[in-house]
Amino acid sequence: MSPESILAELQTRQLLPPAQAELIRTDEARRPFSLHRELRLLLYLGIVLLSGGLGVLIYQHIDDIGHGVIVAAITGLMLACFAYAARRLQPFTWGEAPRAGFLPDYALLLGCLLFVTLETYLQVQYGLFGSRYGLATVLPAVVFFALAYRFDHRGVLAMGITALATWIGVTIQPLSAFVTNDFWHSRLSTAAIVLGLGLMLAGLLAERYGRKAHFAFTYLSLGSNLLLLAATASLLDFTPGYGSFPPVVLVPLILLVCAALVWYARRSHSYLLLLMGIGYAYVAVTYVLVRLIAATESGEAGFTLLLFYVPLSAAGVVLLFVNIKKILRLK
Amino acid sequence: MSLYAYDPIWPRHEAIQEQATRWHKRGLLSAEQLTAVQAAFPLTFYRPHLFLRIGLFLFTTLGALAGVGFVGMMCQFHFLGMLLLSLAIGAVVLELVVRGKHLYHSGADNALLYLELAGLVTLIFYLVYRQLNQYGYEDVQDPVPGTVLLSVALLFTLVVLLLATLRYADRLVAIATYLNALLLLGNLLLMLPHGTLLLPFALGAASAGAYVWFTRQLRQPERQYYHRCLRLLRGVALGTAYLSVNYWAVREGNAALLPGYVYQSPQIPLAPLFYLFTAGIPLVYLLQGLRRPDRTWLWLGLLTAAFSVFTLRYYRSVLPAPWAATLAGALLTGVAVWATRYLRRPHHGLTAAADEAEDPQLNLESLIVAQTAHSAPTATEAAGVQFGGGHSGGGGATGAY
Repeated sequence: MSPESILAELQTRQLLPPAQAELIRTDEARRPFSLHRELRLLLYLGIVLLSGGLGVLIYQHIDDIGHGVIVAAITGLMLACFAYAARRLQPFTWGEAPRAGFLPDYALLLGCLLFVTLETYLQVQYGLFGSRYGLATVLPAVVFFALAYRFDHRGVLAMGITALATWIGVTIQPLSAFVTNDFWHSRLSTAAIVLGLGLMLAGLLAERYGRKAHFAFTYLSLGSNLLLLAATASLLDFTPGYGSFPPVVLVPLILLVCAALVWYARRSHSYLLLLMGIGYAYVAVTYVLVRLIAATESGEAGFTLLLFYVPLSAAGVVLLFVNIKKILRLK
Repeated sequence: MSLYAYDPIWPRHEAIQEQATRWHKRGLLSAEQLTAVQAAFPLTFYRPHLFLRIGLFLFTTLGALAGVGFVGMMCQFHFLGMLLLSLAIGAVVLELVVRGKHLYHSGADNALLYLELAGLVTLIFYLVYRQLNQYGYEDVQDPVPGTVLLSVALLFTLVVLLLATLRYADRLVAIATYLNALLLLGNLLLMLPHGTLLLPFALGAASAGAYVWFTRQLRQPERQYYHRCLRLLRGVALGTAYLSVNYWAVREGNAALLPGYVYQSPQIPLAPLFYLFTAGIPLVYLLQGLRRPDRTWLWLGLLTAAFSVFTLRYYRSVLPAPWAATLAGALLTGVAVWATRYLRRPHHGLTAAADEAEDPQLNLESLIVAQTAHSAPTATEAAGVQFGGGHSGGGGATGAY
């Protein structure tokens, strides 16, 4: 419907005084066309292409004359980004800081991406940290967390959490990631579960004590995803490695975390967490059922049970979704 | 039985509420007025949040496919029996849930509709390619472009998809219908002697014609039921108009249509003309998008520009990839930063501020006050006009999921 016909409709229903309708009409005619989203998309694409291209260039020209120029360019650009973001810095608050446009946010993002490039390069070329890989990976985590809190930036916070996960992974199994290319093995998955729990706790505490309460969603969604992914992966692993949790622990853990997610989603109206909670819980319950059927060796009867279980359980979940507001007593 | 599966009131009320919410965010409607609008034009259908819709879609698909397997067991996996029985059950379930639960593009009904149509298309191709053969057509296993059989099959699927679009007004089905019509046209052209040569121009002209028609339909209030589809179809029509004369698409398409195995796609006739189209159309789209201004043109301009770059790099290695990425990234970032700073104050009817952002230059307060002074009954409504709700986000720093 055109704005004009909606205005007419509202006025015939006596919902809008004529003067206000005239005001809206003027605004519709005069309002400039917003390029907000398009510009942000271009900026994001530009930043990703730029940092990605520079990240490759620096290694391609390692024995080259232009090499120093590229390193200097990256350093200069990184410093310029940080300087620009710092110049627009808002005073620190534990709440959500007001924004001075979106350019400083993107500058900070580009600065952080270039920081990773530069740090990795210094390690590869000059062995800055030697074989202390833990130190090399914990540094970005520390820097990103500090920047995220000071600049009130959720994107950088997510980068910091990722760096933290890398650090823990490297510290626990320095070489397995390179040798076996199996990230979710035994102790690693256990570490991921513990880290996920820690992140979820950090999110809940941030909200509880009003310390950057708007960071809670980033902590919770990343933490719970890490935890549930690792737990489900080691649950479905046919050859569980030494040191991983047995299913007796994993299944209740998954269900408990899912329940926590649903509880939190109900409070904060976050449907992503609700979907995750129900999805992972469905996988865990189905796993238990299949294992039970396999354990009792019921053969034909077990197969028939599964045949009924899949469509009926799916229909059940659909019904749950449709009536979710009533069940969870959402507004 | 009505043509519409959903109540035509729903899209109407939805459009009114969306517009009222936008006005409220810009500070043109008070919270009380918004509530009054919401009460006067209630949304009585069920369409949950995006993530719930995704969940509904996934679990409905899982359940329906498992149900098909169950039906298959009962039919002892007789192909046609299983398909027909599942289609019949699916259609009844779809109609019943839409009517009983008031689902309106809620994920569950989308999933059922897509599965139903996929089944119908399978059925049509099965019947055309397996059953028609027995009545004298030569035995063709795979669909071959430019054959009568494929035209017949595409004609049947077009009819099915068109009816489904008219009834359900689903955006994905609408796009499938449009693409199916273009495929049918292309296939008919290929049956002509010089069809391959005509193909790009005919498809381009058909897309342009479709664009004009969609735009004209969009202006008619009685097409409200289909506005969601039409808005998307406009963009798709612009996209197909570009793709049908894009150099890469024409050259590779031509190579695919040549008989036998072709190692490398040969050069096409009228190549300079297609270079011109490939380079020029994105520019035209972008300029038109900014001049009109029209978001559909703008987005298609961005997408087609990216595709033109791909086309160029596919045939000519202009720069090594890292250098190209770095320079393109620097260029994009530079342009975006410059435009953002330039458009901080609106220029040429364009602005970098978010659409819901309040315009500080609109001095609403004085007007509202003047109006409340001489219209007593509406004073309570206007008194609460909120000058709030402005919001601008940062680079991933804010986010409402």
